Amino acid sequence: MPGFLIRVLSIAVVAATASLAPASTASAQTDPLEIIDRVDRMMRGDSSRGVATMEVVTEHWERRMTMEIWSLGTDYSLIRLRAPQREAGTATLKAEDDIWNYLPKVDRTIKVPASMMGGAWMGSHFTNDDLVKDSRLIDDYDVEIAFEGDDPDGVAVWEFRLTPKPEAAVVWGSIEYRVRQDNYMPLWTKFFDEDGELARTMEHGEFTEFSGRLVPGTMDMYPADKPDERTTVRYEELEFDVDLDPSYFSLRNLQRGR
Amino acid sequence: MSESPWLRIGWRNLGRNRKRTVLTALGLAVGYFACVFLVGWTAGIQSQMVENATSLVSGQIEIHDAEYRPERSLYDTIGGREGADVEALLRAIDADPSVLAAAPRVYAGGLVSSGQATSAGMLLGVDPGREVALTRFLEPLVDGRLPVAGRNELVIGEEMSRQLSAGVGAELVVMGAGADGSMANDLYTVAGIFSTGLIEFDASTVVMPIDDLQALIVLDPGRIHEIAVATEDPWIAEATAARLAAALDTTARPVAVASWTDLNPAMVEYVALGESFYWVILLIVFSIALFGVANTMLMATFERRREFAVMLALGSTPGSIVKTVMFEALAIGVVSLALAAVMTFPLMVWWHNWPPSLGPLFGDVTLMGALLVPDLRVEYNVPMWIWTAVALIVTALLAALYPAARAACIPPADTLSGL
Repeated sequence: MPGFLIRVLSIAVVAATASLAPASTASAQTDPLEIIDRVDRMMRGDSSRGVATMEVVTEHWERRMTMEIWSLGTDYSLIRLRAPQREAGTATLKAEDDIWNYLPKVDRTIKVPASMMGGAWMGSHFTNDDLVKDSRLIDDYDVEIAFEGDDPDGVAVWEFRLTPKPEAAVVWGSIEYRVRQDNYMPLWTKFFDEDGELARTMEHGEFTEFSGRLVPGTMDMYPADKPDERTTVRYEELEFDVDLDPSYFSLRNLQRGR
Repeated sequence: MSESPWLRIGWRNLGRNRKRTVLTALGLAVGYFACVFLVGWTAGIQSQMVENATSLVSGQIEIHDAEYRPERSLYDTIGGREGADVEALLRAIDADPSVLAAAPRVYAGGLVSSGQATSAGMLLGVDPGREVALTRFLEPLVDGRLPVAGRNELVIGEEMSRQLSAGVGAELVVMGAGADGSMANDLYTVAGIFSTGLIEFDASTVVMPIDDLQALIVLDPGRIHEIAVATEDPWIAEATAARLAAALDTTARPVAVASWTDLNPAMVEYVALGESFYWVILLIVFSIALFGVANTMLMATFERRREFAVMLALGSTPGSIVKTVMFEALAIGVVSLALAAVMTFPLMVWWHNWPPSLGPLFGDVTLMGALLVPDLRVEYNVPMWIWTAVALIVTALLAALYPAARAACIPPADTLSGL
């Protein structure tokens, strides 16, 4: 799966295979980390390149952006706006824990300070933190299977529950994540705040084959406190295992504005 | 008419031991001085806090769209989406006789970046000409000058200037979210540096002309978030706010007019707490004085017990002995008051107008979002002066009660026979 966006959880969770703590297992046969690992392997290549549209609907405005996305492993991604024309060239570079924005209008690069990591990314319902923390969720959360069986639509699913490890400094009180059993496609992810209130829901849909891999073609993020708002990301193109190396994700390349 | 001889007797008795009288009177006078000064200082600190909280960066009255607080959304501008006729609003506000100045403001959040360093900033759009009449933080500036509209200029706080290593003339990138969802960003030049002493404010605030900020965040010129208003005296803000609310009731969309007493109730409570503390000061100071005076009066009556014995032997009633002593105490009280006035008021006038500063010792202090310059300015508080005078007389009388009772109970025969 290219792009950190859809990977928010899938990649996050793959790291769990390396982590030693299978918190609990709902049944003897099912190891949550194994399933998640498989989901992730299906969805992720070592590197990827794609084109996506992002539609943001808020109470006050609606806008649509087209962006090109490159990613390498869990540490690097580069996103460059192609449209709207006025903002074309605006780019975000994520390298390990840091995020930089390139602003073509003033030809400057700004590093997002720690205090602004919770802020909206490009006006969407994603935060800068979503770009950075995705690869680390598993370090901070314990994973268990909360549900295994048929959902109301009769689809066999697994539902995972992620709870923060005691000493972890995290944004969410808990995270729920539902995956289809037949094709290992993620269905939705729910983020709960520390009081256990639903904060936002991310839904995956339109499962499509790109470069021979089945992946969710769309992702919708719904903030719980603003029922009329949403951000939708839809993949138009997607290719895996493209030829990229870490030097591609440099500040110099960010500013090149291709 | 029967009172005048008693007062005369009391007055005359003061002359018997002048040194002691002066010392006793001084004790009470210093008590008065201490009370009035402590109250004056407390009131001075409080009035400074209120003044700084209401005139340094915010006005005494803030006018917003009714929906604006507490979320302070970018979209809840006065008059809503359509905006308002800002000039007409300002004229209506300026028409109020208590209003000294009024100024429009626009607020937005953003990132401010200079080279490698970036910090989160509050973008404040002001009308520089009106703003300097309202608040003190933009005049004088630490360095540089006020920004000129249309030239992409801004002023930043001293702390932000330090953190971003950006002095006057430096280039800053300001990035924020436009009201239309776009990524607002532009390049600006630092025209000046301000310093309020409020570190957090100085570290995060970016001030630019209101038109420039509206252009950056794609807000129409008629859309502003706030009109800040200054009144002649912080304590008339509440009444003025009520009048303004009535005057502005004509706008299509309701506005909220809030005085600083609504916006900062903690400060109001603090002032009320300070005022109740005055009575504690009064109680403590005069309790101490009470025992001092009682001691002197006891000595004075003891020394004169032969005199009282003679009076009693000649047919004076114990009641008249009590009266003698009490009137003596009253006379001491009056003398003390005169002494106290001489001691206190010249110093009050001096320290009210030319307060000695402790700044070199302590530097500036921030308390509850208000800046305190640690000088010893005293405030006049006439009701407290009167109450302290009453407390002084009451103390003198209370202190004399026991000695008077003792004097009235002297057995004349035993005392005169030297027993």
